[in-house]
Amino acid sequence: MVEKDILKKISFLEDLPDEMLDKVGEISQLEVFDEESTLFRQNQEQTLIYMLISGKVFLNSRSAQGTSLTLDEVSPGRTFGVSALLGESSSTFTAVCSQKSSIITVPGKQMRQLFEEDVELGYRLIKKVVLLFRSRMKMHTQQFLHSLATHPEIK
Amino acid sequence: MVKIEDLKRINLLRDVPDHLLEIMSKEAQLSIFGKDSQLVALGEDIDTFYMLIMGQVSVGRELTPDIDVVLDYIQSGSSFGTSALLEGIKATYNAVCQEPCEAITLSGARMIELFAENHELAYHMMLGVAKQYKEKMDTRAQMIIKTMDEYPEMKDDIKDIENLTLVI
Repeated sequence: MVEKDILKKISFLEDLPDEMLDKVGEISQLEVFDEESTLFRQNQEQTLIYMLISGKVFLNSRSAQGTSLTLDEVSPGRTFGVSALLGESSSTFTAVCSQKSSIITVPGKQMRQLFEEDVELGYRLIKKVVLLFRSRMKMHTQQFLHSLATHPEIK
Repeated sequence: MVKIEDLKRINLLRDVPDHLLEIMSKEAQLSIFGKDSQLVALGEDIDTFYMLIMGQVSVGRELTPDIDVVLDYIQSGSSFGTSALLEGIKATYNAVCQEPCEAITLSGARMIELFAENHELAYHMMLGVAKQYKEKMDTRAQMIIKTMDEYPEMKDDIKDIENLTLVI
């Protein structure tokens, strides 16, 4: 169980009223992971949602040719492992703690069960995910189009 | 009104329970569009959510007056215009029928009204939309990773891949 004051440090949850935070807290755990702990691996089953309280986590991807790339450095307050939240079991990335990290973990299955029981909570949180994903896709498309438009062969 | 069986042909609705599909079936319309019909126009309000039953729709942007970039081809079972389900969002692309198309349409304004009354419907629809975005973001991320693998010198030019890692 995780107290709501700790959950409020997570930007994904910060707008929720206390009674909803209590419900999320009941299915959450606060865990400490050592440096270099692997939280989940690319293409393997992912069952937990992770919310970083302190420390730092790298999200890496290995290409088909074996090259490893660090795609993101997750800082405190952020949530990752969204595949488990959406009921998609396979992870797109590998997550490794680059420092000793304190992380809230929530089983995706229990979170989705909670959403089914409290659909207002589910709607609020999933709508937040949609708005964020939408704005990122839009930004990414704009950058892609800008790169194309400024490419010497197109100019 | 459309049949529930037709709604079940739409990927985004595959996990939506029947009693919610029934509500949607009463609101939905089946529409036929001719080749080259423009369904969504860049910069305009999106007021309709489209679920394609038959045909193909291109989603794109004008890069220069001479060049159009196709960002995606929507095919049967897929949907677009999800922004109609969110309030006050304008189109960031053009959507044009590449051939005669049959689509189930839902009024965005009516769906937003229903979402306010029925959070279960709202939750299941948003979950479908979120999964659709995730799939597209994963595909883009994999394409970029593959490109960087083949052209490592491009790594410094790609600055926003963290936007595709689904961290929230």
